[in-house]
Amino acid sequence: MTTRRRRRPARFLGAFDDADVESDVERTDMILEALARREPVASGADAAIRLLGALIADVDSQRLSSVSITPST
Amino acid sequence: MGTCTIVAGIMPNVTEGCVADAATGVRLATRSDESDLRELTSLAVQGDRTAIESLLGHLRPMVVRYCRTRLGRVAGHYHIADDVAQEVCIAVLSALPRYRDIGRPFASFVFGIASHKVADALRSSVRAAVPTPDLPDGPDEGPGPEETVVRYIEAQHARDLLSRLPDAQRELLILRVVSGLSAEETGNVLGMSPGAVRVAQHRALARLRQLAELESIA
Repeated sequence: MTTRRRRRPARFLGAFDDADVESDVERTDMILEALARREPVASGADAAIRLLGALIADVDSQRLSSVSITPST
Repeated sequence: MGTCTIVAGIMPNVTEGCVADAATGVRLATRSDESDLRELTSLAVQGDRTAIESLLGHLRPMVVRYCRTRLGRVAGHYHIADDVAQEVCIAVLSALPRYRDIGRPFASFVFGIASHKVADALRSSVRAAVPTPDLPDGPDEGPGPEETVVRYIEAQHARDLLSRLPDAQRELLILRVVSGLSAEETGNVLGMSPGAVRVAQHRALARLRQLAELESIA
């Protein structure tokens, strides 16, 4: 026996759900755009954003050498 | 965007300082100067040295970031990645006279070359000797050792998670976030509409988040 999936008619597409997804996509775009422009982004508990921020900082690193000089005591 | 050293009259030298100078101006082109960039490309193809310098000056920081993200550090340094970025710039320069504008932005041509060069480097198991940097003349004004180590570990963690994404999602996030391309530019490079980029990057980030959460639980 085969199961046939019926396509949901357009009128049943919940406006709330669609708007919800759209706003999530838009929010993600705003965050990624800020990261791309090197603007500060509050990562909060979002590990993915925090890690991407760390990667950007590492790639854009200004250090010319890993050697640091500390005053001798 | 910062001015970089010009080697042999044309080729911008790839140095960490140059990348850092460009950190505040990562965007390749806004909508307003996209046509200027196309004109610049056209002049560069015709051999205009000033146009070639400007064009490479625009593109090089993004190529360096792309190569650094894909290849990471070797023995704590980005020498290999920066060498590959330099090879990309040389290849672009060599291919410039043969470039034909078929409606796609020049960046897609450049990142196509970059993608192949990175793949070649990844295939190669040979790791060249890493030159020892000269001791700096003054105090290092960068982050301290603890902060550097934490950043390094987190960056490596990010690379590990990115490497576990499907190729298309990884490429998209690197171009969009690390190389700093806009949704439109990323779409041009990957052959997607800006809308498709926005949806795909949302999915890619969700997947990355999921991977990070799974790891934190494990």
